Amino acid sequence: MSGWAQFKAIVRKDLIRELRTRDMLVSMILFVLLAMVIFHWAFTVKGQTDLTYFTGGMLWVTFIFAMLLGLNRSFAQEKDEHCLDGLLLCPVDRVTIFLAKTVGNLVFLLIIQAVAVPVFALFFIERSLIGDLPPFLVVLLLADIGICSLGTLLATISMNTRSRDLLLPILFLPLIVPLLVAATSATTLVFADGAGFGTVASRILFILGFDAVFLVAAWGTYDFAIGE
Amino acid sequence: MKKLVSAPALFIGAGAFLIVGLMLGFWWAPVDSSSMGFSQKIFYYHAPIAETSLVAFGVAFVAAIMYLRTQDLRWDRLGYVSIRLGLLFAILVMITGMIWGKASWGTWWAWEPRLTTFLLVCFLYAAYWVLRSVVDEEQRRATYAAVFAIIAFIDVPITWFATRLMPEGLHPAVITSGGTGMESSMFASFMISMVGMTLLLAALIRRDLQIETLKDQVTDLKTSLGG
Amino acid sequence: MSDEHDRQDGAGPLEIEVEGLRKSFGRRDVLKGVSFCVPRGGFLSIFGPNGAGKTTTLRVLATLLAASGGSVKVAGHDVREDPMPVRRAIGFISHNAMLYPDLTAQENLRFYADMYGVEDREARITELLERLELSARRYDVVRTYSKGMRQRLAIARAVLHRPRVLLLDEPHSGLDPRAVDILDGLLTEIRDEHTFVMVTHNIAKGLEWGTDLMIIEGGRIAYEHAAGVDHESFSAVYREHVHDGSVM
Repeated sequence: MSGWAQFKAIVRKDLIRELRTRDMLVSMILFVLLAMVIFHWAFTVKGQTDLTYFTGGMLWVTFIFAMLLGLNRSFAQEKDEHCLDGLLLCPVDRVTIFLAKTVGNLVFLLIIQAVAVPVFALFFIERSLIGDLPPFLVVLLLADIGICSLGTLLATISMNTRSRDLLLPILFLPLIVPLLVAATSATTLVFADGAGFGTVASRILFILGFDAVFLVAAWGTYDFAIGE
Repeated sequence: MKKLVSAPALFIGAGAFLIVGLMLGFWWAPVDSSSMGFSQKIFYYHAPIAETSLVAFGVAFVAAIMYLRTQDLRWDRLGYVSIRLGLLFAILVMITGMIWGKASWGTWWAWEPRLTTFLLVCFLYAAYWVLRSVVDEEQRRATYAAVFAIIAFIDVPITWFATRLMPEGLHPAVITSGGTGMESSMFASFMISMVGMTLLLAALIRRDLQIETLKDQVTDLKTSLGG
Repeated sequence: MSDEHDRQDGAGPLEIEVEGLRKSFGRRDVLKGVSFCVPRGGFLSIFGPNGAGKTTTLRVLATLLAASGGSVKVAGHDVREDPMPVRRAIGFISHNAMLYPDLTAQENLRFYADMYGVEDREARITELLERLELSARRYDVVRTYSKGMRQRLAIARAVLHRPRVLLLDEPHSGLDPRAVDILDGLLTEIRDEHTFVMVTHNIAKGLEWGTDLMIIEGGRIAYEHAAGVDHESFSAVYREHVHDGSVM
């Protein structure tokens, strides 16, 4: 009964649950695609507006709001059936729970992005992106880690309060702004200007730093967030 | 029963420093030679308030850690008193910043590092209050508030760096790596104001803490009498 | 009972030791200093009106709730300092099944088996499902189960890792007669070498199983007695302390 086995068990359990019902995944994917369509109409001023320099912003705002929906869902279930008690009864390190939940959320986010990014490229980007994928994917993965770890920590807190769904965005959004700024500008540079690793290196390092700092902070405080 | 008002010495000390600092700033230090002219003098308020609000959040950060370690609600009280004051000061930073901006650049708002950071800081700590308001149980509320206060404070310097990733704004850098960029008389006035503002914060924290402690004692009495 | 740390009937070492347990939620004092012990192999039945603090006591024993004061030891370990060995040693059955509705019985039990590190996982799951007469529904999602079936599966969940101590929160409530029989059968089977604490409103069951009886009222122990009290006299005492409608 190592921490690793428990970690795998929790991730597997969450994945099976979600893939079986698919409510959360389907809703999130629909939401993301709809948001993109709405962005087109929202930002088109006269005729064909060139949204090339808005690409990073649109993409990350969409992902962040989709995640806010998804995080609420996944924790609400745990709480409603009192399954969280069942989990807390187990001889498992609370940090293991945190990591497993974060990874589970990360997998969902990646699945959604795998669908959304090609569609996004289809709607908004004229040129071929194949050559630009490596820097973009690095930014994507690192930013996802930050979003999921911070989101998991805050969702754990907010699900235990009176106004569950409303509270999470209020807590999450101010905190995620630095990450958003870096990810957005990096993504826009890659998509609009075809920037390579050199140009976006400082932003990538920043995101890496952000992730590291908040992972450590969540590590230290998760015990308190999840206990009673 | 302790006296309601904190030792007057703190307030008097704070007042003295602030008044002296202001007088020096307005009459002794020369008018700034750059384009800002007289309006630069708002700096003697603006920067100390900014620094002090961050100090308040720092105090809350430490209080949060102490609460998580000891589970003693007094640390929670110190935490929210500090954050309340810090938030008030942060709002003042924004207001004085906007006034300064209007006077020197002609616009009320600009998306530049300092204003933006403090805007986000205001949102962050406003979220702290929302969090507190939706948890009914005392210990749990204190625990969640402490976790958030820790995370929020860590985010402040990170936000500061992030805003610098954006293109440079109009805000003049006061303390550059080369030196303070101020004449010594300006610097002295500035430091005196700084000390005064910090003392003011300390005095206010102390007073608010005592008020909150009394409030809690009254509530406890009410509960045990009324049932 | 709270003073005797060596019982005269040679029941052996103490599995549960509670000393001065206090719990407050904000200004509300739910437990105001509760002390009791349960020897290994003992069965403590706890009665009391709603809101008296019975479930709170159980949750503290289960490490789900942190006490505000006092000391609590289960299976020789302090629940606050050393919760992990306590968690390994206890099984908790409450009226919340703590099962994932979108997972099958097999997947639910497999998950918990992995969390507890049960070595003979498949064999153990098969054995329990048979014992609880759920084998036919092994691969059905729990959402399709009736309440009685969920309770039975919850029992399987609780004993999966062979815990030494079982904490039961009104386990008979909401069960159909067949499920009650199965539960009683299982309890009989594991009665020896296991320690039990059961919170119940069902006097008959509480008396049937309990070697020690306790009534908690207003956060304190109002009555305690080693078993051997007959139904009528206990009912009288019970009615004195507990005013809500309970199953007699």
